[in-house]
Amino acid sequence: MPDGVIGGGWSYVIAAYSVTVAVLAIYVWSLSRRSRRAERSQRDES
Amino acid sequence: MNIRKLLVLAGLGLAAVGTYFGLFVAPPERHMGDVQRIMYVHVPSAWIAMLLYTLAFGFAIALLWSGRQKWDDLMVGAIEVGVVLNALLLVQGSLWGRATWGVWWDWDVRLTTSLVMAILFAGVLVLRRMAPNEERRSQWSAVATVVAFIDVPLVYFCVRWWRSLHQIQSSPDTVDPAMVLPLRLNSFGLLFLALAWMLWRAAIERSSRRASEVPLPTRVAIEESAHA
Repeated sequence: MPDGVIGGGWSYVIAAYSVTVAVLAIYVWSLSRRSRRAERSQRDES
Repeated sequence: MNIRKLLVLAGLGLAAVGTYFGLFVAPPERHMGDVQRIMYVHVPSAWIAMLLYTLAFGFAIALLWSGRQKWDDLMVGAIEVGVVLNALLLVQGSLWGRATWGVWWDWDVRLTTSLVMAILFAGVLVLRRMAPNEERRSQWSAVATVVAFIDVPLVYFCVRWWRSLHQIQSSPDTVDPAMVLPLRLNSFGLLFLALAWMLWRAAIERSSRRASEVPLPTRVAIEESAHA
């Protein structure tokens, strides 16, 4: 590796991409759960 | 196929190709090496979060102007997805900062204004839960959104206006084309996904409001017919 280059960056890259995918997946799951609940309560009330 | 599904499919496709190019095709940066690949998720998160906050600001103005609830639904959708991306932006930036600056966090002007932006817009979502009724909830959150939006241009321009650890914005003219491609693909991919989620969240808000609107008169009618 040439001088002056930050080494060992892949662990940070993997961490950043993993957190991104995990957080977005959890958010989509949360939307899906709330969507089902909202549809159910609307159906029950109508 | 509805618009949300189209946006999700397009977004996933673009993000998948962009991530492949970002991780495996784009060259490592001259000084930062491979850690610079965080840029391909960090910068799109920042751009799209700020775009969503700008949309939320527009929806808030439209809501205050017209009083129509559809703007409230869209506003809450834009803010919620914006806060998720804003939180991601801070975590990704912290990882990148640890690798390049040697610290997880610094009270630098760009980092601080980005944190304040997340807190302000998360505060709008908290404020909505405290409102006594639907009308107040819409008004309070629209006004709070307009106030919170003041921080968005500050986040963007602070690196030009004040001394900052964070670099100023690059332009495609100064970046290797092999780096621009994954950045653009991921940005458009995340944009499409974020718009789909914003519309989904708005639909949930609409359904919840209708469910809470319907019951009282319906229940009264049912009770009256039962007593008649």
